[in-house]
Amino acid sequence: MKELVEYMAKALVDDAEQVSVTEVVTGPDIILELRVGAGDMGRVIGRQGRVVNAMRILVQMCAAREARRAQLEIVE
Amino acid sequence: MAEQQPTVELSVAADEVEAAVARTCAEWRLARAEVRVETRPDEGAPGQVRVRVMAARGAIVAAGDDDEDLARARQVLAELLARMGVAAEIHASRGEPDGGITPIVLDIQGLDLGELIGHKGETLAALQYIARLIVSKQAGRSVDLIVDVQGHKKRREEQLGRLAHRLAEQAVERQRVMSFEPMPANERRIIHLALRDYPGVQTESVGEGTHRKVTIIPHPR
Repeated sequence: MKELVEYMAKALVDDAEQVSVTEVVTGPDIILELRVGAGDMGRVIGRQGRVVNAMRILVQMCAAREARRAQLEIVE
Repeated sequence: MAEQQPTVELSVAADEVEAAVARTCAEWRLARAEVRVETRPDEGAPGQVRVRVMAARGAIVAAGDDDEDLARARQVLAELLARMGVAAEIHASRGEPDGGITPIVLDIQGLDLGELIGHKGETLAALQYIARLIVSKQAGRSVDLIVDVQGHKKRREEQLGRLAHRLAEQAVERQRVMSFEPMPANERRIIHLALRDYPGVQTESVGEGTHRKVTIIPHPR
């Protein structure tokens, strides 16, 4: 799941070097914290959160298959 | 006889094997998961390794620049699916022209792909949106791209077209406004187009957000 978020974020931003994803696991719950450069926030969020919401749907599909819950958050 | 898949053999320094494989993947526009790699020591050159890179069965290697976008789109989707843990083949083609643009159609084929479609097609829509953004960013311009699973969208389109005609018939017969269930924009569009030239009715979308639906309004007799 971490690799999926990393791939999507790096492919969407201008500065791939500043992309990092941290996984915080608590039992069946996973929180994926995505960090990008300040200038790239808009690219991973999208208008009305459209990009981040699409990424969340894909992450949740992967999590559901492992009977887990995943949450994707963009951290400033 | 097994189909001959493209293969390349290189001689590189031992610590440059992955870099050489990555370069070949980029050239062929394939995801790393779509090639097999074999290595053995290069007897002619100490310290060098012979690397054999083979395209996996079903993988389509980009043939020159004749359709760069198609190969690029296929690769992006393959990279996404590999990271989602979905094992499937991707069939890439050009769809039917729609208003001057011929979209790229990527049909994902394999077993148990229902989860890729998701509730009301929402997972598939998300996958298409992300793939389209990435491909457009790589191409430096907007690339129109449709992602489908086992022809699901195509079948749904045909089904909606038939339903539209049935409801239009009833609207005319009963002289009553008929409504569809709420649908996403792309499905509403299919209905509007299907009934564009249907005599005696007009279509209109009503409601907001996820409640928006198509209605068929008969012209008064």
